[in-house]
Amino acid sequence: MSLPGNAMDSLSAALKCNIIPNQEYLLQGSVLDQYVEVLLHRLRGLCDNVDSGPESFHDHEICFSLRIPNTAASTPMPMSIFSLRVRRALDVSDTPYQLRYIGQQELGDKNRPTVVRSSIDMACSSTILEFLTELGCRIEFEYIARGYMFRKGRMKITVSKIFKMGGNKPESVEPISQSYLVELSVLAPSGQDAIGEDMRIFAEQLRPLVQLEKIDYKRLGNIM
Amino acid sequence: MQQREEKQLESALDSIIQRVNDLKQSIASMIFKIENEYETINWPSFLDNYALISGQLTTLTKVLSHDKCPVLRNLTVLPLMLSPERDEQLAQLTEHRVTTFAHDLCPDYLRTKLEPVAENKMLQLETKALGLQYDNAQKQIATYQKVISHVWDIVSKAREEWESESSSRGNTQQNSSVADTHLLVAAVGMGKGLKMGPNPNGQTNPTSGGMMVTPGRAGGPPGPGQMPPTTQAMSMNKAPAGIKTNIKSAAQMHPYGR
Repeated sequence: MSLPGNAMDSLSAALKCNIIPNQEYLLQGSVLDQYVEVLLHRLRGLCDNVDSGPESFHDHEICFSLRIPNTAASTPMPMSIFSLRVRRALDVSDTPYQLRYIGQQELGDKNRPTVVRSSIDMACSSTILEFLTELGCRIEFEYIARGYMFRKGRMKITVSKIFKMGGNKPESVEPISQSYLVELSVLAPSGQDAIGEDMRIFAEQLRPLVQLEKIDYKRLGNIM
Repeated sequence: MQQREEKQLESALDSIIQRVNDLKQSIASMIFKIENEYETINWPSFLDNYALISGQLTTLTKVLSHDKCPVLRNLTVLPLMLSPERDEQLAQLTEHRVTTFAHDLCPDYLRTKLEPVAENKMLQLETKALGLQYDNAQKQIATYQKVISHVWDIVSKAREEWESESSSRGNTQQNSSVADTHLLVAAVGMGKGLKMGPNPNGQTNPTSGGMMVTPGRAGGPPGPGQMPPTTQAMSMNKAPAGIKTNIKSAAQMHPYGR
């Protein structure tokens, strides 16, 4: 019975030492369909995995949400919404599912080059869907992402087309826009803000093809 | 009379020495740059140095051909004594480049004519040039001009293309759209445009039934939040025919099946 305790101890020790990469540094942008080849070509030149070529992926992501009634009277929101994402590969059959928690994004001030948000992810089996449903999570939305992944040091660059699920056949999906979503991200332990600067410099090299920026979700909510 | 000429010679020599020193300094700095900054030096600064040296050579030539400059050709330098011993004074004068005034170095330093080999070659070229027929020369000039104008055309065409391309890229070419960025980010981050509109309970409906059926559940009783919202969504938003196909495909084929 002492094992779980030990595991918790070592986990909290690891958290204290700041060695768990639980912060995601993120920049986002997009590129129009007709220029995506140019972007891929440039990324092939800039990134590390030159020999093997770009890694392609074809994933299905479902966002679950869990509503927890707030008992404390002082909080303004009656419910707090907690969302979890499940991702699975559609092109490779034997990979595990990925469960991911993404926290509130922090924009910070002008001097901070990227968005920072806490992010915890882990591999799990396909029963995670059932498990989450049993917990009371509901499906919030889902989409298909298909595209390419590049690496540059610790940085990860994805160029992906986002498809909306149409009906229930996996073939009948439709793209939601005429652009590819471009994301530049790094997972790092908290406090490693220097990586943001590297990301800014890298994003600069993709201009004017892609404008990778800090995007405020709250403002987006008002616009759209 | 003699005194005036001597004065003139002295001042001319002074200015020549000064120009030569300038030239020497800029050549030294160029050599230093090439040897020490060859990793960082760029073409513009290299060419600047080169232009400086070439300008100084031009001034030196001007000084030499000036009216007031006495005809140096008429003056002779005579080596009075050669010695294989090291001469400290000479070494100091020449910044330790020449330490002895001996027979092997002296002809090179006091040379006023070209080396015999080079002189022969020059002579050959000169006779060849003189022997050339006028027509032939004109022909050759015309050919050269043709080649050069052709190259010029190519270069200016390439430049034109390059400039128009860069200007069009700067102005009109739009590779990304801000609206699309916002659309995509909002969709991936918050599900904007991916989910159905919220129903009266304030809860959102899943977009589709088939994709979210878990293995081992397809044939069993519908779990909470699975089948009921689906049928609800379908009956609200889709034609009856849609229900039929949905149920069918949900039961028969689901992508999560192994």
